[in-house]
Amino acid sequence: MDRNEFVRHYEDWQRGRISRRQFMQVTGLGLASAVVAACAPSTGASPSASAKPSAAPSTAPSVAASVAPSASAATTDPMADWTPPKGVDLGKELVITTWPNYHDPKTIQQFTDLTGVKVELNPLGSNEEMLAKLLIGNTGWDVLVPTNYTFETYGSKKLVEELDLTKLPRLDVTRYDKNLLAPGYYPAASSSLFGFNKDWGTTGYTINTTHVTKPMATWKDFFDLAQTDYSGKVTIHDYQLTSIGNALVYHGYSFNSVAEAELAKAEELLIAVKKHLYAITSDYQPPMKDGSAWVAMTWTNDAVQLNRAFPEIQYVIASDGGEIWSDFFAVVTGTAHREAAYAFLDFMATPKVGAKDAEFHGAPLVDSLMIELLPASVTSNKITYPDQAALTKLEFGTAELLTSKARAEVWARFKSA
Amino acid sequence: MATDGRADAAPGRWRSRVVTALLLGPTSAWYFLLLLAPLVILVAFSFGARAPEGGYAPAFQLDNYLELPTRVTAFTNTLWMAVGGTFLCLVVGYPLAYYLATRAGAKRTLLVVLVVVPFWTSFLIRTYAWLTILGNNGIPALLEGLGADDVVLLNTPPAVMLGIVYNYLPLMVFPLYVSLERLDKRLLEASKDLGAGRLATFRQVTLPLSAPGLLSGVLLVFIPIMGEYIIPAMLGGGKVFFIGNALVDLFLQSRDWPFGSAASIVLILVTLIAVSLYLWLGSRGQVRREVSIL
Amino acid sequence: MSQGTAPGTHSGRPPVDRAGRWVDRAFRTHAALVYLFLYVPIGLVVLFSFNAGDLTGELRGLSLRWYARALDDRFAMAALQNSLVVGAWTAILATSLGTIAALALLRAPRPVRAVFDAITYVAIIIPGIVIGIATLIFFVNMFGWVNPWLEYLWASAALGTPPTIRTGLHTIVAAHVVFTMAIVMILVRARLAGMDRSLTEASFDLFAPPLRTFVQVTLPQLWPAIITGALLAFTFSFDDFIIASFVAGPGQPTLPMYVFASIRRGITPEINAIASMVLGVTVTALVIVGLVYRRQARQDRTADDLERGDLAVAVPVTEEPR
Repeated sequence: MDRNEFVRHYEDWQRGRISRRQFMQVTGLGLASAVVAACAPSTGASPSASAKPSAAPSTAPSVAASVAPSASAATTDPMADWTPPKGVDLGKELVITTWPNYHDPKTIQQFTDLTGVKVELNPLGSNEEMLAKLLIGNTGWDVLVPTNYTFETYGSKKLVEELDLTKLPRLDVTRYDKNLLAPGYYPAASSSLFGFNKDWGTTGYTINTTHVTKPMATWKDFFDLAQTDYSGKVTIHDYQLTSIGNALVYHGYSFNSVAEAELAKAEELLIAVKKHLYAITSDYQPPMKDGSAWVAMTWTNDAVQLNRAFPEIQYVIASDGGEIWSDFFAVVTGTAHREAAYAFLDFMATPKVGAKDAEFHGAPLVDSLMIELLPASVTSNKITYPDQAALTKLEFGTAELLTSKARAEVWARFKSA
Repeated sequence: MATDGRADAAPGRWRSRVVTALLLGPTSAWYFLLLLAPLVILVAFSFGARAPEGGYAPAFQLDNYLELPTRVTAFTNTLWMAVGGTFLCLVVGYPLAYYLATRAGAKRTLLVVLVVVPFWTSFLIRTYAWLTILGNNGIPALLEGLGADDVVLLNTPPAVMLGIVYNYLPLMVFPLYVSLERLDKRLLEASKDLGAGRLATFRQVTLPLSAPGLLSGVLLVFIPIMGEYIIPAMLGGGKVFFIGNALVDLFLQSRDWPFGSAASIVLILVTLIAVSLYLWLGSRGQVRREVSIL
Repeated sequence: MSQGTAPGTHSGRPPVDRAGRWVDRAFRTHAALVYLFLYVPIGLVVLFSFNAGDLTGELRGLSLRWYARALDDRFAMAALQNSLVVGAWTAILATSLGTIAALALLRAPRPVRAVFDAITYVAIIIPGIVIGIATLIFFVNMFGWVNPWLEYLWASAALGTPPTIRTGLHTIVAAHVVFTMAIVMILVRARLAGMDRSLTEASFDLFAPPLRTFVQVTLPQLWPAIITGALLAFTFSFDDFIIASFVAGPGQPTLPMYVFASIRRGITPEINAIASMVLGVTVTALVIVGLVYRRQARQDRTADDLERGDLAVAVPVTEEPR
């Protein structure tokens, strides 16, 4: 949908020609708000949630000590501590390929203490890199933490396996918001589950308010001020999805666009900004921490960690658009440590464990029971659980972005400019 | 056995050939499997097409080679930095090598070893240390105290150049030192006796005689810089883009292996040609055909 | 650099060469500055390994806790061990194969020599990233081809579970040897070319069998080149990150790979501690070797002088073996 169509629908709604619900459905904005409605801790059944997509109404805000109503797989008390599966040889080691700053070392240690399995965390820089290594093969990885838009490719190339739900007794997908869980099914809308959510989040930017005094609320502000007032102090992701996507949003296009003309304009903007950037990096915590950078394109979990260390660093979800994403747990096809991989996934699906882990990495969760277990200090954090209004314009990344040659070319030209 | 090793009798020659072949066997096998085979794969890939999700799809087309000019900027960037870096290493390294060659005994050995010791810390950690020095809390902080505000040293071409010189200096100093050390001091004395001044002696005696070392040093530094990618990645902050970075991007991010393969082949060929040219020019003035690398 | 001794001076002392002194001072200052340049970052690395605080950017008091952490850290120690093993094997293989090949090439016909020249150069010119990827793709394809065949063999011979070939330390060694063997070959061939043939010929004239000639005449002269080659091979392998990161096996990282992952995980002074320990061990080893060598050197002084003077005189073999 392009800008004009959107405006037309908006005006239709304003003039009463279509209902709010129809407007939300048609523009897909219902997606984002339904997400928040289902996941926001204290709002429970929000009036804006359209009936179709969300499971929000059934998620009672009270602590559900009993089993969820439609529970089929969950026969254990969800609040119980996790124990290793009986009679299963888990082996000695496990390789988890994931993102930086994403797991509490204590959580990992807890798993090792309970099972005796040595865990190796293998942080990568981007989904593209993950796919490249999986394509080469023989990676030796066991558990994967891919982002929502990769499942089409991973599923069709059989790089991850369909989850064996009998090995995941602590996983109860009815507690998971359907919209966020949807990408984990391959083919889309089937019942074959290839991954379940670890968390979700947004892509915005952090600003160091000690130095950044001008109001910044949009991607327009971000890219404009990067070239003027804050030249030399701004970083963008070394990641085509978000950097190109947000440059597209600057021009009013969709975050997911692969249209040539629109990409050309985004490329133009990026190249104009390049000489003003402090760095093109996805490892922006060090420069933000030591003051070399004042503004950084940031993911939610990093924003939480930065803000925790330096309260003057604030997070901005741009009001003109951007990305909402979700990361999943998946099992690599042909893994040599299958039992340990499933044990770990089961471990992370346990509400108490997932909640404790989230206190470290800061990203918002998807399992409603896990959210209930979070302390108020986490759920009231506006970075982790932003207001619904902030999310309306955000888009999920689409599958084709992972393989789009056009975007890869733009990025390559930008990097070598 | 009263004969010398080189038997002229036919069976002796045949045996000699077998022995030679046996001795060369393991090395040949190694190179065949682990150098030639991968290269052949690369060449095959370079004519292929990019599979939709990335990687290699069988095909036969020249498109990849024809598209190479789009990467010319990265290539010329690298070339400039490689030449500049080599030159800087030479300028900094030659006086040091000379100094070392003119020391005596144990002190000399100690000093030479001290040049190599930094190599014994991890390359990544050494380069990371420069991040601290050039970063906000390092030299710029010092300069701020002196009044010069807002100096940005990191993520710039000079920072990358610094990293290059730092990491490749020993490779330049070592061959130069070996060559200068072998210099017969009596030649220098003779030159002086014949009335030549210091500069003239240097230009006409020392420099030509240290040419083999110079040759090796330049090669040992220039070639790896052309393939370098970590230093620009760490010290350039994504803003300095070498052909090595472009290759990493092609293989690991955009996953356009055919294009990456084509670029690699061309890079290898160009470097090979440049090096051969350089060696040929360098050996023109020398009597011996076989250039002594060290 | 000799001070000019003007022949036929009248006074008993040589004239003061002021310009010479100035030049000397300039060279000395330059050398000092270069050493400073080389060691400041190393100094920082060691300094911050004692950091009581967390960040590697700010010093907050001194403590040894990072050393304790490093020694306790199973992953780090395993990575260090892997690097040492890989480095040692690379050095051994590269040196032995390279030396043998270099010697064999002496007696090989011209075309063969030319081919090996070309291969050696290509091995050195290929950027690490290219050889890393290409070798990995080769390995994976080869495994996919060999492993089913092994399975078939084992099954038809009813030998139980067949072995599977995967990436691991051995694949890293294999890839490293390609480059380091070329270096050794170049070093040894250069040394052979510059070697004095008359000694070898003298040995033959004295009726020594080829093997004995090799061991007692050729090999001692080759030692410097061989040792240098082995050291370079080890250093290259120990420090290499690019090639290793591609062809390493799962769960078996080398030290540079571990360091790189740590940089992504959030670097702590633990890395500095590991680097400092490696540095410390190396320096200690070098000091010991230096002391031993110094004692031997005093005995071999005459041999040394002859060697350095590069005098091409066939001396009867009375030198003490090195």
